[in-house]
Amino acid sequence: MKAFKLHNPSQLEQALALLDTPEAKTGKTRILAGGQDLLTEMKEYLAEPDALVNLKHIPGLDTISAGGAEIVLGALCTLTALEEHAELGKRVPALVQAAASIASAQIRSQGTLGGNLNQRPRCWYFRSEQAPCLKKGGKECFSYGGMSKYNAILGGGPSYIVHPSDLAPVLVALNATAELVSKQGTRTVALEKYFTLPSESDVTRETVLQPGEILKSVRIPAPAANSRSHYLKFREKGSFDFALASVALTLVQEGGTIREARVVLGGVAPIPWRAKGAEAALAGQAPTRATFEKAALEAVRGAEPLAHNGYKVPLVKGLLIRALEELCA
Amino acid sequence: MSQTSDERGETPPDPEALSRRRFLRSAGGVAAGGVLVQGLLTSCETSTPAPAAKAAAPKPQSETLEGEIEIELSINGAQRKLKCEPRTTLLSALRNRCEPALTGTKEVCDRGNCGACTVHVDGRPALACLLLAVDLRGKKITTIEGLGSPEKLSALQQSFWTHDGQMCGFCTPGFVMSIQACLDKHPKASLEEIKRACSGNVCRCGTYPAVFEAALAVAKGGK
Amino acid sequence: MSTQDKPAKKKIKVTQNVDGHPVETEIEVDDVAGPTWGPRAAHTLVNHDIPRLDGPQKLTGRAVYAHDVRVPGMLFGRVLVSPYPVATVEFDLEAAKKMPGVGAAIDMGVKSVKWLGQPVAAVAADSPERAEDALRALAPKWTPGKWSVDREQALAENAPAVGKKGNKGKENAQGNRDETEAAMQNAAGVVEAVYSVPVQHHVCLETHGITVDFRGGSEAKVYASTQGTFGIAEEAADPLGLKANEIETIVEYMGGGFGSKFGMGFEGELACQLSKLAGKPVHLLLTRPVEFTSAGNRSGARVAMKGAIGADGALLALVSEVEKYGGLGDGAHARQPYIYGFEKSYTKSFGVLTNTDSSRAMRAPGHPQASFAMESMIDELSYKAGLDPLEVRLKSLAKNEAYVRQLQRVAKEIGWAEHPNKTAPGKAEGRWCTGIGFAVSTWGGGGHPECEVDVRIERDGSVTSAVGTQDLGTGSRTYVATIVAEELGLPLAGVKSRIGSSRLGRANGSGGSTTTGSLAPAVKSAAYNARTKFAEHLAQALGSQPEQIRFAGGQVEDLKSGKKLSFAQACGLLPVEGLTARGEWVASLAGNGIQGAQAAKVRVDPLTGKVEVLKMVCLQNCGLPINRLTLRSQIAGGMVQALSYGLLEERVIDPDLGLALNANLEDYKVAGSMEIGEIVALIDDEDTREQAIGVAEATCIPGHGSIANAIFNACGARVRDMPLTPDKVLAALGRT
Repeated sequence: MKAFKLHNPSQLEQALALLDTPEAKTGKTRILAGGQDLLTEMKEYLAEPDALVNLKHIPGLDTISAGGAEIVLGALCTLTALEEHAELGKRVPALVQAAASIASAQIRSQGTLGGNLNQRPRCWYFRSEQAPCLKKGGKECFSYGGMSKYNAILGGGPSYIVHPSDLAPVLVALNATAELVSKQGTRTVALEKYFTLPSESDVTRETVLQPGEILKSVRIPAPAANSRSHYLKFREKGSFDFALASVALTLVQEGGTIREARVVLGGVAPIPWRAKGAEAALAGQAPTRATFEKAALEAVRGAEPLAHNGYKVPLVKGLLIRALEELCA
Repeated sequence: MSQTSDERGETPPDPEALSRRRFLRSAGGVAAGGVLVQGLLTSCETSTPAPAAKAAAPKPQSETLEGEIEIELSINGAQRKLKCEPRTTLLSALRNRCEPALTGTKEVCDRGNCGACTVHVDGRPALACLLLAVDLRGKKITTIEGLGSPEKLSALQQSFWTHDGQMCGFCTPGFVMSIQACLDKHPKASLEEIKRACSGNVCRCGTYPAVFEAALAVAKGGK
Repeated sequence: MSTQDKPAKKKIKVTQNVDGHPVETEIEVDDVAGPTWGPRAAHTLVNHDIPRLDGPQKLTGRAVYAHDVRVPGMLFGRVLVSPYPVATVEFDLEAAKKMPGVGAAIDMGVKSVKWLGQPVAAVAADSPERAEDALRALAPKWTPGKWSVDREQALAENAPAVGKKGNKGKENAQGNRDETEAAMQNAAGVVEAVYSVPVQHHVCLETHGITVDFRGGSEAKVYASTQGTFGIAEEAADPLGLKANEIETIVEYMGGGFGSKFGMGFEGELACQLSKLAGKPVHLLLTRPVEFTSAGNRSGARVAMKGAIGADGALLALVSEVEKYGGLGDGAHARQPYIYGFEKSYTKSFGVLTNTDSSRAMRAPGHPQASFAMESMIDELSYKAGLDPLEVRLKSLAKNEAYVRQLQRVAKEIGWAEHPNKTAPGKAEGRWCTGIGFAVSTWGGGGHPECEVDVRIERDGSVTSAVGTQDLGTGSRTYVATIVAEELGLPLAGVKSRIGSSRLGRANGSGGSTTTGSLAPAVKSAAYNARTKFAEHLAQALGSQPEQIRFAGGQVEDLKSGKKLSFAQACGLLPVEGLTARGEWVASLAGNGIQGAQAAKVRVDPLTGKVEVLKMVCLQNCGLPINRLTLRSQIAGGMVQALSYGLLEERVIDPDLGLALNANLEDYKVAGSMEIGEIVALIDDEDTREQAIGVAEATCIPGHGSIANAIFNACGARVRDMPLTPDKVLAALGRT
């Protein structure tokens, strides 16, 4: 990778000052957290920053506060810290399942919550230095007429990437919010609005995080007492692979009826995809196979597969059924 | 999993102070021998942790590293001085900047996909190719060379040997490191836990079955 | 040996390895008695579990591979290769030369490239980071041309010509097509199907390359990651400006070859050229993306078959049209019908050229591809006729005692008798569908006279067994000592093994599974000669006869007088120069022709297409097992590789952009721990041939075919196109 300057601020204000610059706006100054994605981008010359702002020396960014009315996750907490957190495992098991499913133990020990949410897509055109794709400022999304096996079936266009994060669908299902800080101040964004569709926003970005901003924490409202959550990830390769599709579920069941459900799909769209149709099909219904199948049908309604990813339609249906079976067992 | 201080019935410590303590420990490595371009950290030149109460120390300045610098890393229990750039990965530092070179940690993909460069950082498995050497100051690094020697194999290495958990051997250090990290935290790991622990390691010769057997034998307390 | 009579000659067939491909040749050897392996029951070390001698070095990171060599003043090399299958290129060599730390830079003089990954330039600098900076300073400008990278492009009407004679290689045909078609008339079942396997990569964990320690003087050491220690020096001589005898090749350890590492390659040649230019050592091991595009592959294949089966399970007729996808090369495909006999058969095969790296030998070249098509067809025919696919195999292979026995045994191990679906697949319903599939393999092996092994016994009792062979993870280092230790009645620790240097006695390249058959007999011969010589010497010293001197249990006994000495004491009776003996190949100690049967049990989720391989079993014969522990690893390793090939691996190139899309270990998926179920590696001890036969390739041939068959048996999803990924299972189930 290209040589760079490494800034190790010891205070958040210093970091924000370093990011409130023209260089940060153009991507010449980038944020370094765990580096598990950024360093791969830099090795492929997908990113060629002149300077990195390392957040790991700033105190207070990695704490996990799981006990209160609101769960607060510092964006610098590692994926292993999430995976091993007993309290989180009790209150929001889907989050711990998702964290545990990421990459490998080696990557989880360094990768962070913020890094996982802000990682760039894995699309092989995007990651190829020789392919000047739409997302990199070029004219064409090459997956559209090309090798599209791992691309989007929902919400795609004009870019057809899928968002690779496992934590994102779960956090959307849990109704989480993100705290963003910059030199100008703090703002809060619902996770559901944090990720952007290429049809509605700057196609070269995946989130609303602006240059100069740091994702500081993610907050999860206390789940209802009788709420349960589940994350099911489907991979081509069981060891170390991104999801072909994944399902994040939260469910409130009363007696023999599903009172409400949140269904968020991963690996199928440029953003974590709220399957509202599936949610509606579950609400007020008994948790039976027939209900699950209806929900599955709704989940893929409107899907527009590309040449090689049509399989994601039955896959998502099947996966949602399996996830509901596991959660309601 | 360890209990939180809540669960132990203690007053939870101030998270800020905890993080500052962690930060101070990590900065201690810098003071011990690194030469920095700018901004020496003044309040962090000792390696004794600050007390939990907020210290009256002045706020340390930000540090910027650029070009060729000399740093000190703790590798296998010894302090090693080496010259590197900010962009030098730990993998490159171990293999090319240490004298003598530590080549037990292998370069196979340099992208985090294969686990051959697995080391331990503060007891956790990590990929040397996705770590910046300068970021490891003040951390405890263990490489395969630190786990045992041909004359004195660790229990896991001995078990690998007798079960034939290595063929060409190029993936072997990475597997040993991953599984050892797992056994360090779960001495009685199950087959599932062992598989998970090395799910980020690739073996082309196909030694997986023997590797699992070797690891299980140690987990079950035998040889 | 008596020089009175000239020994009689006999002709034998040997398998020589030409670039990893086994080639049968006939040679003449002396027809004399000599060392024998001896009765099985008498072995103390051979045919036992012997932990590798180099285990401790590998396990502790002390083993030094070519990638690990560090010598003073060493530069790191990087190679610029074409990202396009066809293109012209311009780059700025001078700019690269000016970069900090650069010691040398080379323009290979290629203005237009003909294959994706073709090298055009190289640089060497004093750190890998600076070498990469210099490589990028070349600032290449590629102008893409017109290419063919897949079947559609290559066979299109106005396809750009890849080779001088177009895009179809020479056609080979065997059999009579009309007769074969006619024989299908009254068949109980006819199946027409197209099977395909993609181009696959070797994925050696240590990439290709060398570290050449040349400092501008009159000698050099080449540390090579290679399967053939000898021959490298010759290739390195010219670019270094030296003679072959001024160069030592060292291969103490190497991180995998699988057929792709014969010869120094462009990477070795560039390393030597850079070293010569700079007058400094050069470390040039390919980076992973270049390893994918430019260091070889296993050719893909498309096999259009039409088969017919009789009501009684007789294999009546088979027509096969084979297309091989070997890039610029012809590719490899074992002849159809593969292993199974059909009463009538016709086969036609030709290579389809593409502007991609030529395929190289990869573990059993041509066999895994052929096996997939054949084993799938056997099952399809069986089910078509409502017959048990195991029974159909047993009937076809009835004359081969080994296959019959092996199939019956693996069927027992996998639980076929209790399995409900035998003549029809299970239904695609429920949480999991479980299925079983079978497949068999064949290989030659054999050996040839190339190895020269030297055993040296010192007066202080230390023993060395030395030969310049390489150990790819095959365990040769260990048996170089094991066989000698056993012959001399010593524990393994009593013999030091020295390998991996071109200064030692010659050895063949490790290809075609010919190493064991070539080397082990030579080691035995050296051991035998050493013992014989030692016995003669001791007989004189003790006033006995050589045939009365016995070596066992670390001791030497004169049976005539009953006198016993420790081995060390006996060595004390040697002259000051000790004793040396050389051994060469003995035809009678090697063998040819091995068989293996495999079975796989899988479960499939009919809703998602997920396939989990629960169990794989292999029963493999190989004549005399030299080391049972390392043999089982080869058997298991072959199954694991086939599992990976079957479920995951596929090279992907965008045909329009011409770009390699998965030249990395993220998107080129290789099986990891979570893919591995129960792997049962069984040694077929009913093979009592007292012959050493190499087994490395046989074991990777049939696994993926047995998995494909198991998937169908589980739920009726017939996937004919590897890899057998969930999307294809879902399609085969009619869900897409």
